Formats: sequence, C-alpha cells, structure tokens
Amino acid sequence: MASTGAGYDLSPTTFSPDGRIFQVEYATKAVENAGTVVGMKCKDGVVLGVEKVMLSKMLLPSSNRRVATVSAHAGVAQAGLAADGRQVVARAREECDNYEEVYGIPIPPTVLAQRLSEYVHYFTIHGALRPFGTSTMIAAYDEREKAHQLYVLEPTGVCLRYFGAALGKGRQSAKSEIEKLDLTTLTCRDALKEIAKMIYTCYDESKDKPFILEMAWLCEETKFEYQLVPQDLIDAAETWAKKELEEDDDDDDDDEMAS
Amino acid sequence: MDLNSQEFYGGGLKEGEVSTGTTIMAVAYDGGVIMGADSRVSTGTYIANRVSDKVSHLHDKIFMCRSGSAADTQAVSDYVRHYLGSHAIEVGKPPLVKTAANLAKRICYTNKEQLLAGVIVAGHDDADGGSVYVIPLGGARPRPPFAFSARARRRRRRRAAAGTCLKVPFAIGGSGSTYIYGHVDHTYKPNMSLAECKVFVKEAVTRAMCRDGSSGGIIRLVCINADGVEREYHTI
Amino acid sequence: MAALDLDVATLKPVETGGFDFGMTARNEQIAAAAGGRPMPQPMSTGTTICGMVYDGGIVLGADTRATAGSEVADKNCEKIHYLAPNIYCCGAGTAADTEKTTELIASQLELLRLSTGTQSRVVAAVTLLKRMLFKYQGHIGAALVLGGVDCTGPGLYQIYPHGSTSKLPYVTMGSGSLAAMSVFETEYKDGMDEAGAVALVKNAIRAGIFNDLGSGSNVDVTIIRAGGASEVIRGYETPNDTAPLRAAYARPKALIPPAAATAVLSTVVSVSDADAMEL
Repeated sequence: MASTGAGYDLSPTTFSPDGRIFQVEYATKAVENAGTVVGMKCKDGVVLGVEKVMLSKMLLPSSNRRVATVSAHAGVAQAGLAADGRQVVARAREECDNYEEVYGIPIPPTVLAQRLSEYVHYFTIHGALRPFGTSTMIAAYDEREKAHQLYVLEPTGVCLRYFGAALGKGRQSAKSEIEKLDLTTLTCRDALKEIAKMIYTCYDESKDKPFILEMAWLCEETKFEYQLVPQDLIDAAETWAKKELEEDDDDDDDDEMAS
Repeated sequence: MDLNSQEFYGGGLKEGEVSTGTTIMAVAYDGGVIMGADSRVSTGTYIANRVSDKVSHLHDKIFMCRSGSAADTQAVSDYVRHYLGSHAIEVGKPPLVKTAANLAKRICYTNKEQLLAGVIVAGHDDADGGSVYVIPLGGARPRPPFAFSARARRRRRRRAAAGTCLKVPFAIGGSGSTYIYGHVDHTYKPNMSLAECKVFVKEAVTRAMCRDGSSGGIIRLVCINADGVEREYHTI
Repeated sequence: MAALDLDVATLKPVETGGFDFGMTARNEQIAAAAGGRPMPQPMSTGTTICGMVYDGGIVLGADTRATAGSEVADKNCEKIHYLAPNIYCCGAGTAADTEKTTELIASQLELLRLSTGTQSRVVAAVTLLKRMLFKYQGHIGAALVLGGVDCTGPGLYQIYPHGSTSKLPYVTMGSGSLAAMSVFETEYKDGMDEAGAVALVKNAIRAGIFNDLGSGSNVDVTIIRAGGASEVIRGYETPNDTAPLRAAYARPKALIPPAAATAVLSTVVSVSDADAMEL
C-alpha cells in the first residue's frame, strides 16, 4: 500500500501534492466494489434496480433493503455501505418533511438533490469526520413541472442529474447497455426487464454470491409515488432476463459455430 | 365591534399601539384575484395615516392584506417577503401563493401569543391561477364563507385546528368586515369577470367603510392575473 | 437601602449588550417601598415634530421644550437628531430613548457607509429603526419623523414606538401633532418650493408651540436638499425669547447697585489644613 496514500490519506482535510483527497477516493472505491445499482429515467417514470447481495442463506429476503422511500414523491436506491446509506436516507426524510412543513409544497427534486449533496459534502471537509462509503440514486417527481428526475449523489458530495446511471461492480457493462436504449420511448415496464438483464449480465453464478433483485419505481402507474415494484413484475423481468441471456449464449454459440 | 377590546382577542393592542382597524378583502375571479382595502390607520381616536397601503407586496404576483396591529403585520409581511425571496431563488421559479400563505401561517401561529395579526394572502401563480388564503388571528376559528356547503365548512373547520390557513374563493377581514358578511355572502358569484369582481370588491369595502369607524379614507384595489399587477384607488 | 430588600440579580451589569429592563423590577420595588410618594418621572418630549417633502428635498421641524411631568425640564432642547449626512430624524416620546436610539442607528449607518462606500439609504435607516423598535415591543418610547434624500429621491417616514412605519408626503408626531397636522391639511400642496416648505413647517410647529401644553419655546428646522446636502438651523424662530422683553423693562434705579458700592475692609488668604491639599 506504500504507493497509495503515502501519509496523505489519514484525513479528508489533507490534499496530496497532486491535489487529491485520498479518503474521499477510498470511499468511492467502497461503492465501486458494491452490488450493481441501475437507474433509468424512462418515458413514463424512473426505475431503480439493485443487486442486493445475500450475505447468508438464512437472511430474510426483505431485510437489508437497499431502496428506501423518503417522501411520497421521492425515493432512493443505494450502493456501498448500507449503514452509511441509512444516514443519507434519514437526512433525506428530514429535508423532505421540513421543506413541506415550511413551504407547504413537496420538495422539488433539484432542491432535495442540492441539500443532500451539501450534507454529504460536509463529511469530506472535516478532519473529525469520515466520508460516506455510499452512492445514492435519487428518483423524484417534480409536482410543479410535472416531470420525473433521476440524480446520482456520490461520496464526494457531487450530485448530477442523469437519463441513466449505474453504480457498483457491474457499472461499466450496465452503462454501455443503457446507452443502447432509447429512453425517450422506453416505458418503465420494459425498463424493469432491461435492468434485470443488465444486472444478470454482470453476475457470475460460479464466482459471485447469490443476490436478490430489488426494484423500486415512480411512474404514471404509481401516480408518481415512489414504490417497490410488485414482486410478480420483478419475477417476470427476471425470467425474461434469464431467457434472453440464454438465447444470447446460444447466439454466441451459433456465431462460434459459424466462424 | 371593538377590535381593541380585551374580551374579543386574547392579547389585544398594547397601550398607544397603532392599529389597522380595517376592512380588507380578496376575491378570486375568472383568471386572477382582486384584493381590496381601506386606507385608515388609527391610534385610539386619532387617524395616524389616512392614505396607508394595507395591501403589502410579498413577491411579484403575491400580496398580503393586513389587519390588526400595524407593527405586527408589517413585521410578519417583512418576514414572509424575506423567506419567499430566498425560496424563489432556491427553486428558480416564481413562488406559489400556497407557499406564501404557508409561510405567513407558520409565523402567525408560532408567535400567536405575541401577535395581533389577521391577514389575507392572495395572488396568481402558474400552478393554481388566482388563489386566496385566509389566516385569521392566532389559531382563531375561522368562519368559512357560505360559498361552501355546510359539510365542506365543517370539514374545513376541523382541519383548521393547528395553525389556520384556508384556501377560499373569497375572504374578508378586519373590524369592518363584520358589517358586510351578509352582503358578500348574498352578492358573491363564482367565476366573476374582472369588471364584475371589481364592482363586488369596491361595493363591499365601501359599505364596510361607511359603517365601521375604524375603516375609512380611500379604497385601494390590487388586481393580479396572468398579465401582471394593476393598482388603483377610489375615493368615496 | 437594605430595608428595600433588593434582588441583587436584577442589578447585575448587562453582558449581552442592548437595553436592559432589569431596573424595571428595582423601580417597582422602590415605588412600593416609597408608600405612595411620587416617583421621579423620565423626561419626555411632549412635543411637536413634523416634516414634509418639497420640490427638491425634505424639511424637518421641531419645537424645543422638554417636560418632566408638568414641569418644563429644558427650554431649548434639540429634537432633530443626526442619522447620516443626508438623513435626519425628529424624535418625540421619551427623551432618553429618542436620543440613544437615533445615536445607535447613526453609528450603525456610519459603519455601513464605511463598509459599502456608498451614501446611506433612507429605507435602510427606517428598516434598522423599525426592527429595533419592534424587537423591544414598544418599551422604547421613541416616536419618530425620519426624513432624508438618497439616490431614489426624497423620503419621509413616520415611525411608531411599536415599530410600524408609513411613508407620507407630510407627517406630524408628538402631543402637538394634531395642531401641526391641521396646518398641513389646509396649506400643503405637492411640489412646493423650499421657502414655502420651510414657512409651512415653521407654521405647523408654531401651531404646536402655541396650542399644545407639551410643546413650547423655539422652532428648529433642518433642510435636506437634493444631493444630500443638509442645513441644520437651531432656533430658526424664537417666538418665546424673553431677552427683548427683559431689556425693554426699565428697572427702578434703586434695584441696580452701583459699581464699588460695597467697601472692601480687608483681604486675607490662608491655607487651613495640610490634608486639604492632598484631596
């Protein structure tokens, strides 16, 4: 590890000579090694999917949720350290409640994203604090603009708005898959399948631990409330994804035979 | 009715305090709102200002009619203006009338022991068009106008338990308003035109000013709709 | 004083700055102990003050009587206070409160000018004053007429002790405000010239001086012209000057002792005690 920190990684208040803050970069690493999270802003809503790694066979499938509702019209999905993520979720709920109490209207997604990024950033500028090892995808509905939005909040405190985004182990392949889709016409129901496929694509049964596909959405169908996707829809998406992947494998085999 | 009497309001005016013993009203019409007020400000029996403006500006298209203590209501409107300005910058769009009313309600309710303020917040925004909100004196039971059904009025009264802020088709307030409840309930029609609404407001405020000793001076009107804001005044 | 059984806690010095009303409790205790004997009253400026906007600026006027109860405490006090080179403020109510409040705001305005490098704005002065007065909920007995000229032109405001304000073309305050207002209501016209405005303000104050018991003595006038140049005229008119009257009265010769009427019998200077020197 001599090449990594060289004494500049003991606190987020110290820059390295080439202008990096190692503690924050390490926090980002914690997210990069986590289970894949995919989010897409589709025609009729936003869908978030998480590859929730099952740490034990005895674990209740519904425990250790990686998606959370923060208000009626906003929710998150997280990659990285679950306990760190709870802090962000708690803060998000507080911001939503407080905003509505003061201004009498639901918090607009831009404002929620801005306030959460200020919160996360604060943990990167104090010696006594540790940055969050969590990236948070925010799906929210802007009541005033009648628009749904997707944000990704990183451990650095940067929060950007996306059409589609992916975090964790399988992010590279997932991102290239998202880029192939036409998100202006894709519906949320179709996106469920695509996300399932992306997550299964980067999953290697022989190497990786078993996982549960957790999905939540906010779309016309849910009246733009953030909700867990019904289990039958997730099951259907998984079945479709597995079948697709088998067919792709067969196609690959065919290609090999042909060549 | 004596606005200053201790029995009528828990707190009442302090000695020598300036009161906007008042007639104020706001009415939503087809496409916007019209707000109206008299212009008399009194200290006891002396008129401190005969041409005051009780329709305070909160944001581009949101205003507040003030009644009660002049100092208290000016302070409340100053705070709402301040918070609403910050809020508008944060969201990057003109604020909603609902938001302005909510801010005013919070300030009035959390400080209800210290304040003598009954206000009407009204204006125009792109989400709800013209809207009128009434915030009565510190948590007092409001009197929903007869434009609502009896059931709707009961429901609204229940909801008013903690910090009142009611959305209404029209509202009247101040000491002078007690003289014209019957008149406005009788005369009000939903979806009036701008011209009809102006006559309605002018007529009602005039009647109140004639009967109420604490109301008088000139009638100020503020018309707010999608096109903008127009102010005018009339002498009786 | 021990017999009064004072609460020492209320006598502690103020540590947070601002006004301290701790003495109120002490005064009540003293009054109770005094058993109905009258307590000293604060000096109040039972007053006539006024101001008006004219073509090029603002004219402020005030009488110069300060009273303590029914007694005239000061026959020539100053009621037009400086706030900024382009802003002045007439004060009615409790003399100490108007004096100290305007002093404090003048100091805040000066600091603001030094940090922004710009001329003070009239609204800024009004806002500072109304915020402070509202905070003290009317316990600071300052009723003010504030006038000034800034980049937006002339501005004239009245400010009540509870913190409410109004912007008007002509304003009167104090116990003589009714008398003064009657003059403005009959004579005021929009866009008067400076000479006309000063004459009207003078007449309004004279109405207070001669018709209100709480007002009296002289007329002070302050003119703030467009561009912010101010002219303070103490004793613009002195309708109650007694000197000419005294000079006109011929005293009997017998009452005026001639020079050297008393003979000096001896002159001795002596130091009585060494200790006295050390004092």
